[in-house]
Amino acid sequence: MTTLASPPSDGPELDLELPAKPAFVRTARHAVAALARMHDLPDDVIEDVRIAVSEACTAVLPAADDPDEAIPIRLSASAEATRMVIELIDPYSRLEREVAGAPAELDTADLPFDRALSLPIIRGLVDEMAISPRQGHGVVIRMTLLTEEADTES
Amino acid sequence: MDLDVETTQQGPASVLTLRGEIDVYTAPRLRQTIVDLVDGGASKIVVDMEKVDFLDSTGLGVLVEGLKRAKSRDGTLSIVVTQDKILKIFDITGLNKAFPIHRSVDDAVAAAVAEG
Repeated sequence: MTTLASPPSDGPELDLELPAKPAFVRTARHAVAALARMHDLPDDVIEDVRIAVSEACTAVLPAADDPDEAIPIRLSASAEATRMVIELIDPYSRLEREVAGAPAELDTADLPFDRALSLPIIRGLVDEMAISPRQGHGVVIRMTLLTEEADTES
Repeated sequence: MDLDVETTQQGPASVLTLRGEIDVYTAPRLRQTIVDLVDGGASKIVVDMEKVDFLDSTGLGVLVEGLKRAKSRDGTLSIVVTQDKILKIFDITGLNKAFPIHRSVDDAVAAAVAEG
């Protein structure tokens, strides 16, 4: 069983709400990468963060039938010296119970990512993932990326 | 950073030089360029990704579509990549086995010529 790292205690350092349109996915990943840089996370982790954010935001987009009526993307992130935690609200997916663990150990049917290409990328880059039902509707996707230093300690 | 797509001809090969980021917003431009090239009769396509700063699954999907489209017309589509961060995406999706990946445009063009 995987024990999930708890999110940094002081709440998210970055809280974003962006239109659910393809042009804004770049804005999301650049903002989160800037936070990672601010915390001096290694370049390879920053690169993984950029891709994970892009995959997660892109996964939410196609669910909106009418892009002009789409619920905005809500994303928050926090970083420490050895890890980064990213949370994204997917307002369209449904889930009865929380699933959590290393992405490679989770039932892929529970993950809201394209099975062919996006899912292998998420599995290859993200150390921990949790998907929880959200009060009202939708789910919260939480991704944690660890530095090599953190991996060694755990 | 957006995505610039430039097409040049090097011998029998059409070389697509990409600069910038390939994601859900910019990938349609790349898709259309590849469709236009294949539909226009290009049979040897080399995609130069040396100046690509970012690639996610959307961009990979477009390249896979392009490869299938080129093969359906008995053509080829090869990739030029040396950056580790871009190679990593091909590696973890297993697509490093699907595409001919070269270290330089010259190598890719030479391989395309050698294939006849």
